[in-house]
Amino acid sequence: MARLILMFNKQVVKEYPLSKESITIGRNEDNTIRVDNLAVSGYHARIDLAGNDYVLTDLQSTNGTFVNDKRVVSHKLSHGDNVLIGKHLLLFVGTGKEAQLRPEEKKVDMDKTMMLDTAKQKELLAKQKGVAQAGMGAQKIGVVTFIEGMDIEDIELKKKLIKIGKAETSEIRLPGLFMPATAATISRRPSGYVITNMGIKLKVNGEIVKDNVTLKEFDTIEIGKTKFQFYYKKPGE
Amino acid sequence: MNIRSCGITDVGLKRDGNEDAFSVEDSLGLYIVADGMGGHLAGEVASRVAVEMINGAFRKWIEEEAGEEEIFGEPDASLSLEGNYLLGAIRLANRVVYEMALERKQYQGMGTTVAALFVTPTMIISANVGDSRIYLTRDGDLERLSRDHSLVGEQVEMGMMTEEEADNSSMKHVLTRNLGSSEDVEPDIFEIEPSGNDCFVLCSDGVTDLLNDEEILSLTMETIAPEDLCKKIIDAVLKRGAHDNTTIISLFLTEIKKRRVNVFKKIGLSISEIFAMAMRALKKIVS
Repeated sequence: MARLILMFNKQVVKEYPLSKESITIGRNEDNTIRVDNLAVSGYHARIDLAGNDYVLTDLQSTNGTFVNDKRVVSHKLSHGDNVLIGKHLLLFVGTGKEAQLRPEEKKVDMDKTMMLDTAKQKELLAKQKGVAQAGMGAQKIGVVTFIEGMDIEDIELKKKLIKIGKAETSEIRLPGLFMPATAATISRRPSGYVITNMGIKLKVNGEIVKDNVTLKEFDTIEIGKTKFQFYYKKPGE
Repeated sequence: MNIRSCGITDVGLKRDGNEDAFSVEDSLGLYIVADGMGGHLAGEVASRVAVEMINGAFRKWIEEEAGEEEIFGEPDASLSLEGNYLLGAIRLANRVVYEMALERKQYQGMGTTVAALFVTPTMIISANVGDSRIYLTRDGDLERLSRDHSLVGEQVEMGMMTEEEADNSSMKHVLTRNLGSSEDVEPDIFEIEPSGNDCFVLCSDGVTDLLNDEEILSLTMETIAPEDLCKKIIDAVLKRGAHDNTTIISLFLTEIKKRRVNVFKKIGLSISEIFAMAMRALKKIVS
């Protein structure tokens, strides 16, 4: 079984067998490897078993994680790697087989698609609040606030596709004689919020939008006589 | 609306079997690519079962106009009813693959990615789990309608890694989500309004490992038929060694009735219609 040897000032402190599929390293008490030093973040790094390899990932720590003196975000551990976390050194000792494998053979293994243990990873991400918020499945929520033409409360853009217009089914209902049933839509996409013109004069920051445009924070949007501003909801609000 | 579509899969030059699966259901408007993983034949089983299950469940709910309470799992309030059908179908497929993997030893550890697209004249819904991608080309720009659920993909999103570093990473095939490895899965789902001349490409990582977004865009822009686009992408992948199974679905939308209403034009049209009617009536009287 692969092991990690924790060292401080060239002295071996403790040895940890990598018996679990995922472990965390950090200052907080619930880490698998707890390193009580101010240079170490609460949850500093984690190591996951992926296929036959161990993958080290820095959890956006303040002082970074270094492997063989190079700062890494994530790194596939090889036998003999020196992992520096704060002032502590972790020496990675691979299994006999892993230590003998030539690099090319390992590379072929990584060509195959494999799966991280999601349940464990989710647990880790839940602990790592900062990472979870910036990470997957946690896109920031946009909000529009009305500046002119309407006197209603701010609307959170929670739906994936938001219709703006006169129709009763619109998420944002706008009045007006010449207001179409759907004047514009705002869709949440991987790239952010995109506003699309559906048939009436649409302006973003005073510029006419014929098709669509990705919204940036504090953009002002004009549809007919209504003017509103787009911004992102702050996390935790 | 007119949809022209084409789906194609190729085992590639290095693999013995094809673990990818896909389906093109023009009558339903549903398109799916799945990339299976797992030893022996398990990868093939996972991807095929997922495609069948998603198709079956989604079609059933659409045809029965099922209520949100009838679909699998908690509905997501941020999605339309059809978006919830797709969400439920993917959750259900996940559960089936997961249970199969638990029950039979030879299926242990099997899983699959899924990229699915539902196209209607009023809404387009994309859903994905894993690293199979969905691209939209509109007005000369390429946009992803999927998110990579991989270790490096997440780091790119967090701004911890560039797209280029991710492409060169030895860990780019480590997934953080797939169908079949846990009891529940949450796909990423996006809903957009269609526009005239939209073009979509759904593909497995056999394509995206070897072609970058710019290359996919330029191949799309120089092509007018889905069959040509599929063939061009396959040829490009084979030329670069095709180390993995490669699957592509391409869709070209035309004749979308834009719901743009020009009030004055509408009035103008009806006036000319009235005028034409009056002229016909006049002719009748004269004759």
